[in-house]
Amino acid sequence: MSKGFRQSQAFLHTWSGMLLGWVLFLVFVAGTIAFWREGLNRWTRPEIARVEQPMRVLAGAQAFLADKAPDAKGWTIAVASAATPGAQVFWQPQPKPGEEKGRRGRRGRRDTQALIGGDGQVAHARETRGGDFFYRFHFDLHYMPVIWARWLVGFASMMMLVAILSGIVTHKKIFRDFFTLRRHRGQRSWLDGHNATAVLALPFHLMITYTGLVTLMALLMPWAVVANYTDERAMGETLFPTAPVVERTGRPAPLVDLTRIAADAERRLGSPASFIEVAEPGDAAARITVSQSPNATLNTRTPRLAYDGVTGALVWRSPAPGPAAETAGAMIGLHAGRFAGDGVRWLYFLCGVGGTLMVASGLVLWTVKRREKLPDPARPHLGFRIVERLNVATIGGFPLGVAGFFAANRLLPVAMAGRAEWEVHGLFLAWAAAALLAFALPPARVWPLVFAPTGALLLAIPVYDIVATDRGLPAMLMQGDLMIAGVDATMAVFGLAFLMIARRTARYRPVSRKPRTPRATAVRPMVPEPAE
Amino acid sequence: MMAHAGEAHARARWARRGDIALRIVAAIPLGYASASLWAMALARILPGDRTEATVTASLIALALCAGAAMWAFAARSGWRALWTLAAAGALAAAITWFSVQATGRL
Repeated sequence: MSKGFRQSQAFLHTWSGMLLGWVLFLVFVAGTIAFWREGLNRWTRPEIARVEQPMRVLAGAQAFLADKAPDAKGWTIAVASAATPGAQVFWQPQPKPGEEKGRRGRRGRRDTQALIGGDGQVAHARETRGGDFFYRFHFDLHYMPVIWARWLVGFASMMMLVAILSGIVTHKKIFRDFFTLRRHRGQRSWLDGHNATAVLALPFHLMITYTGLVTLMALLMPWAVVANYTDERAMGETLFPTAPVVERTGRPAPLVDLTRIAADAERRLGSPASFIEVAEPGDAAARITVSQSPNATLNTRTPRLAYDGVTGALVWRSPAPGPAAETAGAMIGLHAGRFAGDGVRWLYFLCGVGGTLMVASGLVLWTVKRREKLPDPARPHLGFRIVERLNVATIGGFPLGVAGFFAANRLLPVAMAGRAEWEVHGLFLAWAAAALLAFALPPARVWPLVFAPTGALLLAIPVYDIVATDRGLPAMLMQGDLMIAGVDATMAVFGLAFLMIARRTARYRPVSRKPRTPRATAVRPMVPEPAE
Repeated sequence: MMAHAGEAHARARWARRGDIALRIVAAIPLGYASASLWAMALARILPGDRTEATVTASLIALALCAGAAMWAFAARSGWRALWTLAAAGALAAAITWFSVQATGRL
């Protein structure tokens, strides 16, 4: 590779990585946490017992819906498993005369959904968005229209892809660099750390960034569809075929036992169902559609079966997708990692942590590299000061917000109105406090001031669980509920890590650029940077 | 003499900034437009089922977007980055136009 090419890509790497680096940091943190979405959905609802018999929950869901919404247009049941708090059920009332059919936005309505717990009864848990919050925040952000958020996240992801590719080009000795970690050497150490976290999980970073773009492909790159179809829906229908729609006959007929259908679908598909949809329940035309769980396949667009709702006979099965559709579906599956068992899921999580550290160290490296070239390091120019403070506000502040979310989940009154929203506000309030601090005080003083409370909160939560609930770490280990135990243990480990980083940043004194000069004479009047 | 050197230096700095601005235009709006036009052209000319060709073209176009941004900064000059990406986009636009004229859309 020519020197000119490498230099051009080094420039591109620096700026494509930096300009939206803060958005990427948020996306990486939220996405990494979201790998434990299901575990957190359970952890945030400590009132609900673990699901032992999914079929009992399904029978309970059917009984509940038959009583609550016997004449609904449709029901949707998210099938419970040991990993979920229970079965979330939704029902769609019959459209009133003159009202448009199949209006959107019904699922968000609280009066048409319920959670069925492990005993088959309606479960009453604290209101929370749980792990789902991190999943949505990962691409929808918050307090802004989701389409804007997805364009912003999509644009940042493209910058990330460019930063990764140009970063690979920039590296002359990519493998030697990986085995190099020079400690206590200022800029060199940051660079080594950035290289190590980037190269260690390089296949993951490339995969997760590109497949992330694929999840947003319909929004970001709709032009191939436009070139071939006059109506985009025609494409959707061939790509995701659905069972023929049924018309209500008005003749009542009892709905077949859904557990029987679920068992039959599991036998035919080879793995459990994830969603059961019932169209026109209680009518002679009733139709049941079962989707296979994405936990068993790489492709997230799983096969579906349709059954007659009265006789229980199989009437339709989704055709096998073509190779390109299968590839795109598998890419989305690779991104979301729903297929991953515990071992692979930990690998996903650790790679996500590596990616987060890569983004964070890259952002800090931008300031470390430039600080020594400043004409007067004690009084940097405005652009430098903004970047430096945004780094503290984001890299230091957002983790504090996340810790605040978990603390709010435990501490807000269980019956509080608008509780789920206030947990989220709690995240942003803690983050805003950290950001204010970052702009009010010198950055070097703020790093320990935000890392220390983050660590303290994350350590305090598992302790609170032991003292104040019957779901502490020892109790969960005794019961063999490794999911809940794992969340508490991971929080404790991260709490300790944040406290150690806080101590490190509090004690940090900058080292000189010249490594051979004795440290005592090398201290220069500059604002220190937290460094390894 | 000093003033003259300072002036030349300032001019060089502005030339560099202008060059980078051209590359940014080439990398972001033009790179996206060009990749989008290639998504359309590939969706038309890839063999096989239309749905399959459409999905394949979209998947490729995402990678083209990143490639265009890299090329915008690797090209010898900002102007060269601009006209090469514009030409690539124009070629794709022509392919799409003739193909749609010939066989229409679904």
